[in-house]
Amino acid sequence: MILSGGALVRVGLLLLLAVVLQLSALSQIGIVGGQADVVVLVVAAVAYYAGSVPGCATGFAAGFLLDLATGATMGASSLVLTAVGYGVGRFRELRDPSHGLLPIPGGAAATAGWVVAFAAVSFMLDVGARVSPLVFRDMVVTVLLNTLLALPVFAGCRRVLRPSLRVDPVEVRRRREQQPRETGPIGLRGMEV
Amino acid sequence: MYDRKAVRRRRAALAVFVALSIAILTAYFGESGGGFFHALQRGAQEAFAPIESGATRALKPVRDFFGWAGDTIDAKDQNKELKEEVERLRSELADAQTSRRDARQLRGLVGLHRQEGFPRGTRPVAARVIARSPTVWFSSLKIDKGSGDGIRLNQPVIAAATNTSGSAVGGLAGKITRVTGGTAEVTLITDESSGVAAQVMPAGASGVVKPEVGNPRDLLLDFVEGGRRVTEGTIVVTSGFKASRVESLFPRGIPIGEVTKVDLDEVELYQRVHIRPYADLRRIDIVQVLTRKPPATQTAEVVAP
Repeated sequence: MILSGGALVRVGLLLLLAVVLQLSALSQIGIVGGQADVVVLVVAAVAYYAGSVPGCATGFAAGFLLDLATGATMGASSLVLTAVGYGVGRFRELRDPSHGLLPIPGGAAATAGWVVAFAAVSFMLDVGARVSPLVFRDMVVTVLLNTLLALPVFAGCRRVLRPSLRVDPVEVRRRREQQPRETGPIGLRGMEV
Repeated sequence: MYDRKAVRRRRAALAVFVALSIAILTAYFGESGGGFFHALQRGAQEAFAPIESGATRALKPVRDFFGWAGDTIDAKDQNKELKEEVERLRSELADAQTSRRDARQLRGLVGLHRQEGFPRGTRPVAARVIARSPTVWFSSLKIDKGSGDGIRLNQPVIAAATNTSGSAVGGLAGKITRVTGGTAEVTLITDESSGVAAQVMPAGASGVVKPEVGNPRDLLLDFVEGGRRVTEGTIVVTSGFKASRVESLFPRGIPIGEVTKVDLDEVELYQRVHIRPYADLRRIDIVQVLTRKPPATQTAEVVAP
């Protein structure tokens, strides 16, 4: 990602939109006990398209904003989302994936990491009460809902971030697809025969 | 390419953000409610409030749509659960109503026994009605007690009902006409073959109570001498007469009903008296069979129920 004022504004707007959308709409729509979590998907999308450093910075900012807005324990969401952003960013840097459907498992994995790690952090910090086994069901539902939402959220984030991206995985894939395929025996590829 | 600088920068960024998070977390836990982060949180929430409020209003249709979809899915399960609950409650209601009705009838029977003038020492056996005759011509019931319970032929049967003021009363219902080991058949006083020697209290006019077939709420006291004036609202009880060889099956003093109308015909020798029976003969659930005759010395003194 090209670090610029425009890029910061874009990411900031994305996060603000995600947090407001999460608090005003998605958190109030319960489906089978769980709810979708678009903030973690936005963090994962930024990390996926921009890399690990912007990913963990975005995760930290998103967590900070979320804790500020919800009145939850400050720092807990930041800690977990920083790790999520970094993880997704590193996956992208190491594997250089370009498959069009990769946001689906990526979003699902990021959400799973987020709900599990956040539950662990919350449990360690200040949950004194008995925890119902239903939280596991809610976590699974959140992961499933986010899996469904991942593709459109990633696509939207890519559209917003595109002007600031150094490497766009979708463009890379398109370029690869446009290159003529070489045919013939493996041993003769690239040779003027 | 493996870029050491990039790796260092990346790791440093991660370390900085993680350290920042932990520092905020620690500071947040360490400070009081009026500390920096708490104050920041309050300020942010105040700043967010108008945005959230506006967004909440703007996104209401979206929430409603998803809410509607979710509600529709949940409604199916709820519908099933509610149907089961309705079924259960209906069954409980039926049980409760039956118990209430039984209790009222039993109260009526108990009240009947406490009445002055009711024959004492009759050793009543309570029984539940298990079957009824389907026709109006043969008014009979089957009860769940038989010879094993001390029930014998021609024993009087009493039943309870609720009077116009809502209190439970009881009266003569019929007599036992068939007995098996565990069941017995009761022929009601509304059966066309029935005839009960009765007396109007306190005037003392005697007659025979006969049914008016098809109308269980109206009995006729026939053969009442024209000279003895019978008034509406007076009580009719069994007379329990005894002649030299003939004796009434019913002991003296069992209430039968209340006079509702008197047909005064100057031409006829007898007057015809209409009686509304105390026992609700259409809806009897519990009866009592008087299994023993009262001592012969007992006198009848009937007081209005």
